[in-house]
Amino acid sequence: MKNLFALLFFILLFSSCTVQQPLYSWSKYEQASYNYLKNSDANSAQFLIETYQKIIDKQEGTRKIVPPGVYADYGFILLQLDKEEEGKTMLLKEVETYPESKVFITNVLKMLEQ
Amino acid sequence: MKKLLLVISALGILLSGCTTTAPVSKFSAYRGLYEARPVSVLIMPPINRSTNVEAKEYFHSTLNVPIANAGYYVIPPFLSMEILKRESAFDSELFFDVPLTKFGEVFGADLALFTVIHKWDKTGLLSQVYVEIEYILKSIATNEILYTRKGNITYDTSVSTGASGVFGALADIAASAINTAATKYVDVARICNAYTFKDLPAGKYSPVYLTDSTQVAGPKEFTVRLNSQYK
Repeated sequence: MKNLFALLFFILLFSSCTVQQPLYSWSKYEQASYNYLKNSDANSAQFLIETYQKIIDKQEGTRKIVPPGVYADYGFILLQLDKEEEGKTMLLKEVETYPESKVFITNVLKMLEQ
Repeated sequence: MKKLLLVISALGILLSGCTTTAPVSKFSAYRGLYEARPVSVLIMPPINRSTNVEAKEYFHSTLNVPIANAGYYVIPPFLSMEILKRESAFDSELFFDVPLTKFGEVFGADLALFTVIHKWDKTGLLSQVYVEIEYILKSIATNEILYTRKGNITYDTSVSTGASGVFGALADIAASAINTAATKYVDVARICNAYTFKDLPAGKYSPVYLTDSTQVAGPKEFTVRLNSQYK
């Protein structure tokens, strides 16, 4: 009987407030993006790039897919560093991964050509 | 019998931690969101009414993660911020009451997330940060407000951020460049967002998309005291 209560207790304990596993893993994105906004120098850009690369290479979220915006923002940082080809490739990867980004990315690519 | 009572009361305490006083389902609180089924969210530059001049851009940078984690597509934040600046749309105040169709054309987004930072005050002596933030999700197609919450949050910084989770010890090259006060700033924003968006109806990439409608919605306006242990 005691065991039954214990069992019931644990079942309720874990069912009442379950926390879902996150859809995506973000590595150190929060610090890296803050740092880039704050300093906008070569070091902070490098740290942000490494963070994006890690999010892409080691995606540990339940979807196993790179989170929204990561390819595109990575591409944007590369474009800022005059890495035009790599940057554009990343922008296109965003559209490939998330078709709902097509309108925006197409507009950005148009602006780049102007 | 004593034991049984103990178990029951323990359960009562446990369960009460997960409910609010006047439960309203997410479906009745955010019906428009369930009906419109938006996919993508454009994060508008925050409206900063606080005396903390830095708040705007830094707060902006913390919003994409929780919205994406809730299952939505988030328009790339750095890239969209750049375009908004170029198009002289950095002041969201100007767009709050006007049709958002232009934003739909440029960004292809379904929702615009407006945030208003009413207060962001630090009290040095008590190592507390008091923030008052309003979150408003508007339909870009209809201008209807589909989700809004306002939090009065006191954040206690005296509890160490510790060496766990995302704010764990940074042993790499960037560590020296990161100032602790700054990390705390992001920490406050992250926790406010996490607390507020806890009841945001799930987006299409979430496994509970549409099925979470029977869950309980939080109050529209809330006052809470949090510290870095909040997940």
